[in-house]
Order: sequence, then C-alpha cells, then structure tokens
Amino acid sequence: MQAAALRPGTAGPGPWIAFGLILAFLLVFLILPVGTVIYTAFVNEGGVLTLGHFANFFSQGVFRESFFNSLWVALAATFFASVIAVPLAYLTVRFEFRGALLIQTLGVLPLIMPPFVGAVALQLIFGRSGSVNLLLDDWFGFTIPIMDGLVGVTFVESIHYFPFILLNLVAAMRNIDGAMEESALNLGARGWRLFRRVIFPLAMPGYLAGAALVFVKVFDDLGTPLVMGVTNMLAPQAYLRITSVGVDDPLGYVISVIMIAFSILALWMAARVMKGKDYATLQKGGSALQKRRLSAWESALAYGWIVLILLVTLAPHIGILLMSFAKVWSFSVLPDAYTLEHYGTVFSDANHMIGNTLLYCLLAAGLDVVIGTAIAYLILRTQLPARRWLDYLASAALAIPGLVLAIGYLRLFKGMNLPFTDTPLVGTWVLIMLAYAVRRLPYALRSCMAALQQVHVSLEEAAQSLGATRLSTIRRVMVPLMAGGILAGFVTSFITAAVELSATLLLASTESQAPMSYGIYLYMQSISGRGPGAALGVLAVVVVGLGTYFSHRFVERSRATVQAKQEG
Amino acid sequence: MHLNKVSLEARHISLSYGSTEVLRDVNLKIEPGEFFALLGPSGSGKSTLLRLIAGFNQHQRGELLVDGQDITGTPPHARNVGMVFQNYALWPHMTVWDNVAFGLVERRETKDAIRRKVGAVLELVGLAAYAQRRPGQLSGGQQQRVALARTVVIEPKLLLLDEPLSNLDKQLRVQMREELKNLQRKLGLTTIFVTHDQEEAMTTADRMAVLDKGILQQVGAAAGLYDFPVNRFVAGFVGTANLLEGEVTAVGGETLTFRVQGVGELTLPRPEVPPPLGAMALAFRPHQVSIRVRDEQVDASRLWLNGRVESAEFLGEFSRYRVRVGEVAMVTDQPHYAGLAMFAPGAEVRLGIEPTQVRFLDR
Amino acid sequence: MQRSLFTATAAAALAAACLTAQAGTVTVLTSFPKELTTAYQKAFEAANPGIKIEILNKNTTASVAYVRELPEGQRPDVMWASAPDAFEVLSSFSLLQSAPEVVNKSAPAKIGNYPLNDPKGMYYGQALAGYGISWNTRYLKAHKLAEPREWTDLLKPEYFGHIAISSPSRSGTTQLTVETILQGEGWDKGWAQLLEMMGNAAAVTDRSFAVPDGVNNGQYGIGIVIDFLALAGKYSGYPVDFVYPSMTAVVPANIALIAGAKNPDEAKKFMAYTMSVPGQQLLFDPKIGRLPILPYSMLKAPAGYPVPQDIAKRAKVQFDSQLSGARYPVVISLFDQMVTFRLKELQGATKAIHEAARALKAKPNAKGSELLAQARSLAYTPLVGAENVKNPEFLELFRKSRRDVAVSKQLTGLEQMWADKARANYERARELAEQARGMAK
Repeated sequence: MQAAALRPGTAGPGPWIAFGLILAFLLVFLILPVGTVIYTAFVNEGGVLTLGHFANFFSQGVFRESFFNSLWVALAATFFASVIAVPLAYLTVRFEFRGALLIQTLGVLPLIMPPFVGAVALQLIFGRSGSVNLLLDDWFGFTIPIMDGLVGVTFVESIHYFPFILLNLVAAMRNIDGAMEESALNLGARGWRLFRRVIFPLAMPGYLAGAALVFVKVFDDLGTPLVMGVTNMLAPQAYLRITSVGVDDPLGYVISVIMIAFSILALWMAARVMKGKDYATLQKGGSALQKRRLSAWESALAYGWIVLILLVTLAPHIGILLMSFAKVWSFSVLPDAYTLEHYGTVFSDANHMIGNTLLYCLLAAGLDVVIGTAIAYLILRTQLPARRWLDYLASAALAIPGLVLAIGYLRLFKGMNLPFTDTPLVGTWVLIMLAYAVRRLPYALRSCMAALQQVHVSLEEAAQSLGATRLSTIRRVMVPLMAGGILAGFVTSFITAAVELSATLLLASTESQAPMSYGIYLYMQSISGRGPGAALGVLAVVVVGLGTYFSHRFVERSRATVQAKQEG
Repeated sequence: MHLNKVSLEARHISLSYGSTEVLRDVNLKIEPGEFFALLGPSGSGKSTLLRLIAGFNQHQRGELLVDGQDITGTPPHARNVGMVFQNYALWPHMTVWDNVAFGLVERRETKDAIRRKVGAVLELVGLAAYAQRRPGQLSGGQQQRVALARTVVIEPKLLLLDEPLSNLDKQLRVQMREELKNLQRKLGLTTIFVTHDQEEAMTTADRMAVLDKGILQQVGAAAGLYDFPVNRFVAGFVGTANLLEGEVTAVGGETLTFRVQGVGELTLPRPEVPPPLGAMALAFRPHQVSIRVRDEQVDASRLWLNGRVESAEFLGEFSRYRVRVGEVAMVTDQPHYAGLAMFAPGAEVRLGIEPTQVRFLDR
Repeated sequence: MQRSLFTATAAAALAAACLTAQAGTVTVLTSFPKELTTAYQKAFEAANPGIKIEILNKNTTASVAYVRELPEGQRPDVMWASAPDAFEVLSSFSLLQSAPEVVNKSAPAKIGNYPLNDPKGMYYGQALAGYGISWNTRYLKAHKLAEPREWTDLLKPEYFGHIAISSPSRSGTTQLTVETILQGEGWDKGWAQLLEMMGNAAAVTDRSFAVPDGVNNGQYGIGIVIDFLALAGKYSGYPVDFVYPSMTAVVPANIALIAGAKNPDEAKKFMAYTMSVPGQQLLFDPKIGRLPILPYSMLKAPAGYPVPQDIAKRAKVQFDSQLSGARYPVVISLFDQMVTFRLKELQGATKAIHEAARALKAKPNAKGSELLAQARSLAYTPLVGAENVKNPEFLELFRKSRRDVAVSKQLTGLEQMWADKARANYERARELAEQARGMAK
C-alpha cells in the first residue's frame, strides 16, 4: 500500500496556528536563551565579536583542567556503565534465567534516585571513613578511595546511568530476528564469535544510543560534582562563575558553549554511526534470539555478578534510607541510633516543597505532552513545509545542559517583569517550570511520536471517511489510541523533572518556591539538615519510583491493545 | 436498506507527487449501481485514484463529479463516501458495536436510531452475536465484515474498497468474493473496488478499468477486455497471452500475410476488418492453441507451426507447455484428463493456432 | 483545546503566587543554614502576625552578585551573613541603606578591639563567631592522633592527610580565618604557616559547609571551621569537639538593610528583632550554636557555653577589616593558585618534606638538613611579596572588572604565572626533600 503519510490535503488554518504557537514557544524559551548564551560568549564589553573569551578560557590551567576532567569523567563513566550493563543485557536476552526480573529491577532502581542525593549517601557508605572502608580497614587493613575526587564522581555517575545502556541494549537485542542467529549458527559461528560478529553488531545501534546519552548526561551533570565538592569540572565551574562573579561573567558562557558543543557532537556522532543501521529486523511471525540454559557454575557466576551490581546499585538507596532514620551517623559502619523525627520535620516544614514539585512538574509534563502530541501530529499527519524543524528544534533541547538553559533565562529575561505585574520574571517559579518543560520535551516528543507511529493512518482516514472532522478524529480516534504512549511520556517528564537540580539551583531564589530537589540540596547544607534532607530524598525516590511503575503499566497496556489488533 | 445510486465521473484527472506523475489524464464514467473494478499492477495509480475519490489525495487537474457535482474541493469527512481499507482500519480500543456506530455518532443521530441501524447492519453481515467483541478477537473475514458494516450503515453515496480481499487466504477470498457481490446487489450501492488480481476483478465486477503507470488503458466488461484487448498491456494483464511481434506484409482478398520475427511468414484468413500494413503484434491465448505430436493428423482449419517443447508444468486442470517455435517461445495450455500423458521437454511437436481467435495489436 | 485549559490554570496559579508574595513580606537574603533561618522566621512571624519572612538562600559571593544585578525596588530587603567583606563590597556600591534605629543600645560598641557595627553605619553586628579547629573524636582515636590546640599544631607531620579546609575564595569565613593568621603572624610567616598547614590537607572544599559536614560524619579528622558549625554538630550529638586557638578573632555576623528594598519598614522590624533579647536567645539553640552580641547578664546562656568577650580578650589578633578588604582579591586568588588548584603537588612536596625530616631526625646530616631547609623555603614561600601586597596600584589591578578582555587577560596571565611557578616550586621542593632524605644514612 502506498506510503500512507503522503497526504497532500488542504491544511486549513488549524495546523498553521498550532505550528506557529509551538514555534513561538520553542523560540522564546529555548532558542533565544541558548542563543543569548552563545552570543555572550563571543562578544566583549563593547559588543564586538571576539574570540578573546575563549582564548582566555583555554589559557587558564584550571579551565583546561576542568575541560579535560569533564571529558575524561564522561568517557570513563560511559565505559564503566557499559562494563556493568553489557553482561547484564546479555544475560537477560540470551539465557533462560530466573534472575531476569532482578535485572529488570536493576535497570530501573538507579534511575529513580537522583544522583546528587545518592552521592551524599554514598559518602557514608563508600567514603573515606564510610562503612565499607571502615570494615575493609578493620579486616584487611586497606581502604579503597573510591569516593575521592574525580574517581568518586565517575563511580557515582556510572552506577546511576548504566540503565540507559542496559535498557537500550536489551531492547535492541530483543529485536534481532532469531533467523539471523540461526543462519549464523548454520554457517558455523557460535559462542563468543557469534556474539562478536553477529549479535553485538546488530545490537550496536541500541548500545550507541544508550552510550551517547550517558556521555552527554555525565558531561553536563552539575548536581553530583557540586554535592561531592568536586569543582574542577566544567559544569561546576560554570555554576560557580555565574553565581559568584555574576550573570555577566563571560567565562561562564564560554563553558556553556563548550558544553553544548560537546553534547551535540556526542549525539551527532552516535546518530551518524547509527545512520542506515536501523536493524529492527524482527518480522511478524519471527522469533527472537534463542534462549539457552546456564550450567551450574555459569549460573553461580551470573548470579554473583548480578548480586554484586545490585548491592552497589542499592547502596545509595539503602544509605539514604538509613540516613533518614539516623540520629547520628559518624565514622561508623551503621548509624548510632534511629529516629522518626526527620520525617516529622519534613512534613511540618517542607510540605510546601512537595506541593511545589507537584505543581511545577505536573504543569511541565502536561505542557510537554500537549506540545509533543501536537508536533507528532504536525509531522506525521500534515504536509506543512518545514514541519520537521519542530522536531529538530524540540530535540535540540537534549544537547542543552540544564545549567546553560538557566543561565540563558537569567540573561534573557533579566529586567523583564511578569505581564501585568511588577514582579521580575526571574524571581518567579514560572521560569523553573518552563525550564523543566523545555528540557523534558524531547522525551515526551519521542513517546508521542512513537505512539502516533503505531496508529496506522488508515484508522484516522476511516474516521474521516465516516464523517469525522479533523478535530473529532483527533479526539475520538488518535488520542485514545496514543493514550498509553502519551501517559508514558507524561510520567517520564514528570519524574525526571521532579529530581532536576542543575537548572533549579540557578532559577530558584526563595525557599518558598523551592521544589523538592532544591529542598534536599538546601537541607544538605546544614548540620542537622542531613536527616530531613535524606527523608525528603526518600520521598522523592518514592514519588519517582511510583511514577516509573505506572508509566510502565501504561506502556504495557497500550502495547497490548495495539498487539491484539495486529494479531487479529 | 435501499440506498441511493449515484454516478461517478472523472474528467481529465491528473495527479503528481512532486515531479512524479501518478495519474495522467484519467477519464472514467461509472454508472449508478455498478460494481466497478480498478485493476492494475502496483504503481499503476489505482489506489491513488480510489483515495482521490475518497478525498485523501488531491488532483492537480481535472474534475471529479458525483451525480454531476464537482466534489474536488470537498474535504473527506464531508463527501459521504464510504471507504473500506486494505487493513480494515478497525479501531482496537472500541468494540465491534462502537466501531460500526462511529459514523452515526458523528452525525449526531439519536440513540434509538443508532441502535436500530447498527443492529440491522450487523444482522446483514451476520455478526450480530459479535457486537461486544473487540477487533483483536475476530478473524480476518469477520473483521472485513465489520469494516463493511461500519461503512454501509452511514448510507454513503459510494462504496470504495481498497484491495479488500488481498489479506485473506485463498479459500476465504473466494467465499468473500461471493458475499461482497451479494451484498452489493442487495444494497444497490455504486461500488468501486481496487485490485491487482484480474481473477477477482473479472468474477465480481460489472465493468472494470485497467490502469498502467497512471494511464487508463481500457474500460469495459470482463469479457470485452479479455477477448478484445486494445493493447499489449491489457492483453498480458487480463489473462495470459502469447504476443508475437512482427508485421503485416500483405493483405489479400481471402488471406493476410504476417511475418513473425524469428519464426517466418504466416498466412492467416483475412478478418472482416483487416489490420493495416506495418508493425503489429499478434495476440492469442494459450488455451486456444493445440499441441500435437509432429506427424499426427491435424485439423486443417488451424494454422500449424513446428516447435520443440522447452518446459512442461502440470497444473491440475491443465498442463502448460512452453514451446520454442523458431526463435520465439509460445505458451500453450492443454486440458488435462487422467491418463493423458504429458509431453516431455525436448519433444518435437506442432502447435495449432485458431485463426479466428487471434487479435492484432498495434500498441 | 487542552492547551488553553492549561494556560488558564497556569495563569491563575501565577497570579495567586505573585499576590501572596507582595504584601507584608520581608525578603531576607542570607547564607545562613536552614536551622537558623527557620528558627528566626518562625519566632518572628509568631511575634508579628501579618508579616511574612521570605528566605533567599545564597552563599555570600552569590548574594553580592545577586543584589548587584537587580534594579532598585526589586531587591531583597535584608542582607544577613557572616563575612563583613561582602557588606563592604555592597556598601562600596551604595547598595546598603543606613538604619541606625534598629541597633540594640545594650550591645557593646566593641568586641575586643573590633567594632560591633560598621563605623559608617551601613551594617550592624547581629551575632558573633570565632574561628577555630574542630575534630572528630572517633576519627582521631582510630588514627591515634592527639587533639590539636593551636594552628601550629596542624603543621605536625602526623596530621598529614587528615585536615580539611574550604577555599577562601568560596567561603567568607575561611577568608577571615586566613586573614587572621596573616595579620597575626605577618604576611611572610603567616603564608609559610598556612602553606605548610595546607600541605597536610586532605581536601580544599568548595563550600565552607563541606568541612564541618565532613568532620561531623568522619570523612575528615580535622577541620578549620567557624565555631557555630562545629558547636552545632557537637550539640546535635555528633562525636566532634572544637577549640579556639589563641590566634583567633571574634568577628560579628552582620545584618543590613539593602538600598532600594521593597519593604524597608517591616524589614527594619525584623532587623531589630534579631538584635533583641528574644532574638538573641535563639542563638543558643544547640542546632544553631552562635555567640550573642548582648552581654550574658541579659540572657539565659546554657552552662559551659563559650563567652565571646573572654575569647576576644584572649585573642592575640586585633583584626583589621580594612586591610582585609583591601587585599581580599589578591589573597583569595593567591590561595587558589598556590593551594586549591595545586593541592596534589603541595601534598607531594609536604609528604616528601615530612619523610625527609623524620629520616634526618633519626640520622642527622648537615647537607641533608640544608637541602631540607631549601625545600621548605621553596614550598612555603608566598609568590607575592609583602611589599607588593602593600602597593596600591597592584591591589587596584585586582579590583578592575574582568569583563574587560584586556584586564581579564592580564589577571589570568598573572594567575597562570602563579600557578606555573607554584607547581614548579613544589616539584623542586619535593625533589630536594627526597634528596635530603637520601642523605640521611
């Protein structure tokens, strides 16, 4: 049947208005702020274009050092995340393995704990005088300085971000048609050679997608190095410059531009390598890779590896939980005594933060799915010229670190007031919410696009041929069929916004505006605040965990609906 | 349920995607109540034409008239043209009942009217018991019936079917063909259906149009297209044909000489309206050719050519032989009876062409 | 359709949020931790219904930048922080407003030799703090270390790798500590002491809070901290203790009214409250642990609580805040280039020096000792001479705006030179020390 998307139909004003509104939104809240940042990095006091600031940047040892450190840490974290994730992916897809459920949990656990929260807890467990090192020193007389400096940052980031690689790799491997493997076996390849020559290359796009994402996220992460006191990396340096020297300091912008450039580079390289290698080969009626059984000692090894990873991955969660109940935990393997008072403090003092998080994140997520659905519709169902640009623009937000976007907002909206009032815009929570929305939009958009792609256009054409107008079709057919994907996109937006810190740090001014992530950070700044901070962290993890769970349920339910239709 | 019969006319319809011309100057008139087929290979533009009638494609030139009214600018949802899609396009999140009721709900019909009409049409297609099922729980044939019911219940002016049978296996296809035809006769709806299968077109349609590369080749009833194709394409597409390229060298009072490339000169009886001199193709059907052992007694009314069997296929009802005559390969189908031995490849044979059945094609 | 609904809701929420923030609100810009700000907020609001306190939490340097960027009428009302130099900076930009009526007459005019309030009357002391050494008792016990008493104790080799300090460029209080040592011992001797002490450091943190935090949970053994952070930890039950070395100063934490504030009248009420008896009493809360400005005769102090006047009397240093402010940018930049960013090399040199010293003590050798002295000199001499730092032109250079590309270039050039020289010196010192060690046979 002909490419059903080709529909040179009369567009009418509706799509154009939608296009215009979305473009305006992206322009004002993404392009212009980022443009301002880039511009400022290249302009001196007189307004003349110059590379002087960049020259300045690279001439200073501390910045060169920060640059290489960031690069190094990002690469190392990607490497170690792969080391953790690849064997786990292989175990899940390849073997009849009851631990598969465990691995799935592993794939989710780190993501529901914001890395900067985990970092604090990890200090207590893996730090110089943390539980593990105290025990090691006692029993064996040595310690592992795994939480010191850059190594510490790499460690925390690796165990937080490996699920990106794990999930992408598993999905890619699951999509390999079993016939590929069977023909390879038929031609004599097996075991390691089979993996290296057939399976891994076919799964490579999935791996690269995950790895590129990990690289970018680690490179741009502000919260973790800041909380761990590591300042010789790019993101903390930019933050420090902007907050101490002021929003006019050009070097902060130089750093921002470098961060953007590298993010784009990483994503582009990954896309290039993946170009034309979309190996989703699984046909209807095809089966996935054969599953094999493990021998006894192979089983033991596998379980051992999984348990080890599980323990390390759970360490921040356990640590945070213990901290939230601990009275005093100092230079000892476990806390001295336990109490519930921290939760009491949180619920009496900080419930406005919980409310703030809900407000900002629900609004941001709502905005995201509305815009995401609209863009998906414009791209897949209309013939508007340049509609693909909405996708590119919205997705460009992936390459923009939260820190940079916040800097852009502060600079662009400096001196502007909220319409009809004389409150400065940068002092309200509106910008926080918009920063969340803009940075989460790419994920929501991908969800909505995927959801809409699953809806065959004939389903909408059928509605139209039966007399439904465009709007009626969207309402009665398109959105219900996209529901699972839309909800998944909504929940993903929500839970990632709920633990965002980089942009929040710069944009939140007052405590009463603070969402939970900022609240946790504030609490961690005071002696007796560690307990309540941990309690708030636990709450954040619970919220995110529940959100993730429901998101999976929605996706599963919608997949079931669509699959039922296909099987029929 | 008895529905209005409308006529459909396409006048000088042309459609291009960018620089690719998909439909070129198509002129077609479909009579009220006709079961009309659009037949052609993939890429011929038949689906495009169908979707054009539904309003999902826009032609750049020409007019599209339903009962004399040009509906060119009308959006799809206002055309009241019911379309059944190749994949049925049943909404998985709705029950069979809701699927069928969709169009009526759009038209804001009363609850009672909806209940009545949906009930009636489900009876008509024999799926009343399945009203509460979901499409995923139905078989292919049942899904197709639901798609039909959904379209028919809104009492459309035209019924459009886009390759409705190609997703079904052979047995079911034959059965559904029957049912479709019966339904159409009962409702009297002007129906246009698209297919690439000439057997399907020939058995169901009152008239059909053959398209190739966006150009309308020939329109008419099945027999007319089969017996009197206007060009090589139609000859080859509607049924199988032997095409001998050559030229008419002489036309006499009783006979006509045709020189076949790679074979030689043939003398045929002169038809009533003889073809002009010059380059021509000689077309005849495989089942109109007899095959005999070289030196057997032969029927003198036929034109006999010597040849050698290249391949032999047994197809149950007949055996198909590919015979090399001179430099040309010809296909002949021989009815099969139990006990009848097949010719082996390499056998020396004679082919007998029935001269009254040959056609001369200049295009 | 859905979008318009969202916009409507958002707009309504916005309006509501803005309205509540306006009337009867005092915005306080402070770097103080939550315990303190929440305590004052709750107490003040209870005593003054109808006025809300809005806390903006930013560290000192960020606060200054923040105020400088906002236009008049949009600024926060009150600035409340420890480091006086931030107030000096704000005052020099005419960003503070005088409010002499808020000062509590019962507070002394001076603490030791240090005036409680700004002589120009732009900012006022609200609480007092000293600087000192805190340690984690369990950590010291486990590592078999003695409790330190004076700064010079921290130079001892046994404390190598156990000390934490925050960078003066990031922490106003640490800058004051550094200045205290420099003013007490003199520029050259003071730097020598500092550098040798920093050679023993495990970390130079970015936030001042990271040091007491680290000492509290046992990450570091010893920290150079402001008193209340250590005391708060101690009174919260952490196994930590604290001492005021004799080379210390007691310096006020200040509060000031920002010029062009949104709500100056009610702001003044808050300021007066902080200096009143109930406001001062809050300082004794174990979680807060600060020293009040009012004499103990007016307050109910807990038993054993340090008495600021006594400490000030004992203190050998008469802190000159003018001097501190004048050479502030040089000091912090020099510290960063010589210590913060070169910690590894400094540690390397120090380690080698300690080992050489220990070896030479066991087996004295004249040449070795000479080399060791050279090594020490290389490692622990400041790169800016005492004369230079008194030169007003030199100081002026550091006050210029870095946005000017030429100035920026010059400054970064200078800093780069310091960095390179420091690294070279430490390297060489390490080599010499190793040589010296080799000689102890």
